Amino acid sequence: MMSDTFEPKIVAFVCNWCTYTGADLAGTSRMQYPANVRIIKLPCTGRISPLFIMKALEQGADGVLVSGCHPGDCHYTAGNYHARRKYTIFREMLHFLGVEPERLFFSWVSAAEGRKWADLVAEVTDTVRRLGPRRSAWGEPVEGIAAPRLSANPVPFEAPAGTFAAQAEAMREKAKALLAGGEVGTVIGYEQGTLPGTARPAFVSTPEEVDRLVWNEHCHQNLAVYAARKPAKPGKVALVVKPCDERSLVGLLQENRLAREDVVLIGMACHGVQSEGALAPRCAACQTRTPALADPVIGEATPPTATADPRLEQIARIEQMAPAERWNFWQGHFSRCLKCYACRAACSLCTCERCLAEKAQPRWIPAPPDGAGNLSWHAVRAWHLAGRCVDCGACSAACPADIPLYLLNLKLAQVVKDAFDYEAGRDPAAAPPLTTYREDDAQEFIR
Amino acid sequence: MAKALRTEALLDFLRAVQQDARRLVAPVEEDGLRLFRAVDRVEEITLAEGNTRWSFKEVLFPRSEALFHYRLSGGSVALQEPDQPEGETVVFGARPCDAAGLAVLDAVFAPNGRPDPDQAPEHEDPFYRRRRAQTTIIGLACLEPGPACFCTAVGLSPTGTAGSDLLLTPLPDQGVFLAEAVTEKGERLLAAHAHLFTDTDDTKEQATRAAEGRIQRTALSGVGGPLATLFEAPPWEELAARCLGCGACAFVCPTCHCFDIVDEGNAAGGSRCKFWDSCGFALFTAHTSGHNPRATQPARFRQRVLHKFRYLPERFGVQGCVGCGRCIATCPVNMDIQEVVAKVTG
Repeated sequence: MMSDTFEPKIVAFVCNWCTYTGADLAGTSRMQYPANVRIIKLPCTGRISPLFIMKALEQGADGVLVSGCHPGDCHYTAGNYHARRKYTIFREMLHFLGVEPERLFFSWVSAAEGRKWADLVAEVTDTVRRLGPRRSAWGEPVEGIAAPRLSANPVPFEAPAGTFAAQAEAMREKAKALLAGGEVGTVIGYEQGTLPGTARPAFVSTPEEVDRLVWNEHCHQNLAVYAARKPAKPGKVALVVKPCDERSLVGLLQENRLAREDVVLIGMACHGVQSEGALAPRCAACQTRTPALADPVIGEATPPTATADPRLEQIARIEQMAPAERWNFWQGHFSRCLKCYACRAACSLCTCERCLAEKAQPRWIPAPPDGAGNLSWHAVRAWHLAGRCVDCGACSAACPADIPLYLLNLKLAQVVKDAFDYEAGRDPAAAPPLTTYREDDAQEFIR
Repeated sequence: MAKALRTEALLDFLRAVQQDARRLVAPVEEDGLRLFRAVDRVEEITLAEGNTRWSFKEVLFPRSEALFHYRLSGGSVALQEPDQPEGETVVFGARPCDAAGLAVLDAVFAPNGRPDPDQAPEHEDPFYRRRRAQTTIIGLACLEPGPACFCTAVGLSPTGTAGSDLLLTPLPDQGVFLAEAVTEKGERLLAAHAHLFTDTDDTKEQATRAAEGRIQRTALSGVGGPLATLFEAPPWEELAARCLGCGACAFVCPTCHCFDIVDEGNAAGGSRCKFWDSCGFALFTAHTSGHNPRATQPARFRQRVLHKFRYLPERFGVQGCVGCGRCIATCPVNMDIQEVVAKVTG
């Protein structure tokens, strides 16, 4: 049905104790406010998962409002503090993906603030009405807007001569000693791949097999992905790790996926790895070149020559795009997604026994590999890694469609760093940012 | 007598083909990858050697399609047929391996059109069937197979005609493409654009020898035979220890054809969708009870290998693997099906 006047559909997720009661008060006080808002009541903002917001957008909401108790007033003590942290990250992610920030609203409305609720709904409705309908369906490109392309300048790969050979020799010696002494049953390292200029994960369980193991600039996979899996052979596992891989071990320790004594880490000082004949972009300015947790650290690394991370430039360019361009940039990349889930499979921190993408009731992520399903998948994947991703690059390297997933993960890592002064994979004793809160966490975006 | 198309006349030919069909699908460069896309202008097409990242199978078997749409209201259900807007389609630039892979898709989705109807089960996929009938394949022979390629190891050739309606083989020294009509559709294409083709005495023999000589991978002998008894025997656990369990291999494969069906919608209605699935996923065989007959990743990897090299030949008399090497090249951990089959049968 076509209509001259656009009546926005706004979904409001509100908490039972404050905002819903406030809305009730507005009603019983006969305050007038627009009827565009569909209210969904939940026990607490702490229960209002960002997935709800995404589902509302997927199902065609023109705007979403989330509201709950003021800080300090939560019926469950701290649900709203946790929620505040989640929304801080999630709304930045949606903006980065090209959802117009003006369509998302967060507020605290107490049970006594019937007037505030009525005014808020009027303002939200007015704002969204002025914006007009969403310019495209969830996961579909905005028509008539070219999807901008990003290019990167490759940084040449350099490592001091002889570095790899000496490290490889020392690594093999250590691996042999671990197996011969019975300290471990399996060493997971790298061996030469079957294509030129490649290496691949290798599982060895006898000292004789160790000679297969290699160490060079092609050893890009993060072997921590195997850390929490049950090895086929009895005994402990030793992993050959780069400093970035080791950071995912920190995450696994924090999340109790394994204990430090379950695994032996053969740490390799690192000069970066190769990607398409050049230095992998994440390695260009990487300052973490020496493993911190590993049992032996093999070799020494010199500091990087580049000072700026070339990927930050790409993020800045995305942020300069108008929302519709940004949206189309991502839809362009996501349209190639085959839903092979290589990003998930290669991620050492995707440790859920059953992924949200595999659950049908409720189905948060449309299953088919098309517009809506692909966008929801990548949004959820990035969201679940917010504050956890250690930037090892495994997801992007695994993607057969070359989707620059690292940009999304890195952006969220920046948000987490800026908002909560937290970096994932640094300190096994630190509380992950979404498991904790501060009463004075910033909340400029909440009205 | 064979026909020749001058190298510089290729785009004229494709432009003319495009005018006759509703859609021309060909390899283009996009964000640094080479992919089959419907092209607006023939100048977008890339003729670079090597394979696209994944095959053109989605022209016939889309990664996702609606079987029907439904509306729910007042206790009744209204069904609606989906659009199939593609119409007459020409695929240009199909490599001989990809084109040969059509035999598998045909055997599964359109078995009644196969030469031996006795062997064919009754089921047909009308969506596939319609698209297949409306699609013409112009193959482009490979002169420079890549390091993952092993079509010769499975009995095919970089200049083979199987699956193509018309095959073009570049003969750079002569400045022509040798054109071979393989099917009636191919004959019709040649006839419709006869003014662009000339008779020639050139043959592709030399090109074939040179291209085949570039393939370094060893032949897979006796496949089907030895694999029939190797379900438990070879060390699958060891061979597949590093497999991560993603579906990249299946989705880039020209012959993988497994799919899932779900209803996507809300309380008002939705669509019944058919979309690609992969035997690499644990969910693929998971039962509602929680039991999973392929409980481990090595069991799932074994399925992939045996499906290609044993079950498809046994069941349909077709070869399950065409040696395009894509699964090897795209696998995040270099699971190498050619290496594995050579090892377990060798």
